Amino acid sequence: MSTAGSQSDTKYDRPSLVLRVALFVQLLVVIVSPAVWANPVNQPPPSIASAEPETFGLATPLGRLSYQVGRGLRVGNTGLVLGGFTTAEAERLEGGKRSGGLDQVNFLAFIDPVPYLHLFTELELGDLAILESGQEGVRSGGKLEVKRLYLDFGMSDALNIRFGKFLTPIGRWNVVRIEPLLWTTSDPVIVDQVFDKTVTGAMVHGLVFPPGGALSYSLYGTFLNPFDVPSDEHPAKRNAGARLEWADLRGWTVGASYFASELQKGKWHHLGGTDLLWQPHARVEVSGEAVFGKGSLEDGTLWGLYAQTVVETVRTLYLVGRYERFDPSGERPVNLFDLGLAWVPVPYLRLKADYLIADHLGEFSEPGLRISLSLLF
Amino acid sequence: MAVIVHPGRHTQLSLDEVTQIYLRRKRFWDDGATIVPLNLPSQVTLRARFSRLVLNQTEARLADYWNRQYFYGILPPATLASTEAVRRYVASDPNAIGYVPASEVDGSVRVILQLE
Repeated sequence: MSTAGSQSDTKYDRPSLVLRVALFVQLLVVIVSPAVWANPVNQPPPSIASAEPETFGLATPLGRLSYQVGRGLRVGNTGLVLGGFTTAEAERLEGGKRSGGLDQVNFLAFIDPVPYLHLFTELELGDLAILESGQEGVRSGGKLEVKRLYLDFGMSDALNIRFGKFLTPIGRWNVVRIEPLLWTTSDPVIVDQVFDKTVTGAMVHGLVFPPGGALSYSLYGTFLNPFDVPSDEHPAKRNAGARLEWADLRGWTVGASYFASELQKGKWHHLGGTDLLWQPHARVEVSGEAVFGKGSLEDGTLWGLYAQTVVETVRTLYLVGRYERFDPSGERPVNLFDLGLAWVPVPYLRLKADYLIADHLGEFSEPGLRISLSLLF
Repeated sequence: MAVIVHPGRHTQLSLDEVTQIYLRRKRFWDDGATIVPLNLPSQVTLRARFSRLVLNQTEARLADYWNRQYFYGILPPATLASTEAVRRYVASDPNAIGYVPASEVDGSVRVILQLE
């Protein structure tokens, strides 16, 4: 009986193995099929020609390569999009330092292989070509850094899970801190000096839609060692945070953030913040942030705020003014005024010139003139 | 102007919800399917009217908004060449949503919102 049973099992196993291999091959074919990897949101049915404006396009075996400046290159029917941004800067500071050059190029790549997954990465090629006063020749390091790398998984608007390295969701500035999207060449001190810019871990986030707007939340924490950290940054080993934001459809957004970081074992710093964006008129934008507590980059209680106003004076030319105050623990508070102009002739190009005024020279203030030209590609 | 969906989709949407869909904030129908919002080319008059009535933002503000979304890998709604193309697509895809002049609506699609 056992022999017969064994033969029977053997006979049964052979087709099972073949079946498994066949299923595996079929699965592989399905996975690599462009139709599966295509992003359905961006894929009209074949009978309807797309009217997406193209800067250039090319028919390939993968489908049409379609490039739109400021919106990236769509790689055929794969759903993969490649893009990025770059900035050339020059500055003349009050201390006498002068510098300029092409600081960095950032590359973006993203794909929605299935409707519930979003893969995203941002790579930065930095220190490309910098000229500095007091130094001979052009400094060029060409270092590559993974700025962001994450996977978003979401089956509903209200519940999404993100794994990887992502920007710390505190306030408004840190989550879009790239030159082509900002109105001034310098970052406020409370954004630049107080907390870790990125988190390597997980985040639960989502949106609900009460009448009149969208309420978003995020809860996040580090559970992995900080990934690909620049040598001049020393992020906390562990951190956790939360953010709540109301985006009203009438043109204003208000948010509150909390961030806890463990700098040394068992010693947690707590930071709270609030932020506002108000667009009372098509040509006016007012924004601001305030933080209070102990940040992850400095020991001791601190507080700070900034308020910024942007007014479109004539078409595409914006007048920008920002006031900020930063009161670090044990040091003299600094007051900063940034006044400048931004010219946005097309949405993907931004030329900025602004002058930062400080009430005194210090660690947190580098007053002077700065100019930048940034391109979203 | 009429906001249209596939006749098999019986969901009701408010103006605010249509706005959130076209800002790509609201991404899922109630049954969990991914929403496919469709737009018209930027030079089409109906799109400008839709942007004013539904999105309530200028083109410059919208461009700034989409720049920020691009920084997170989110692109604006797909654009089709004509209102006829939008109507045909919506008639063929239960997850799509679009807008056309009310005079172009026929039995192949269902109107979920009328905009004056």
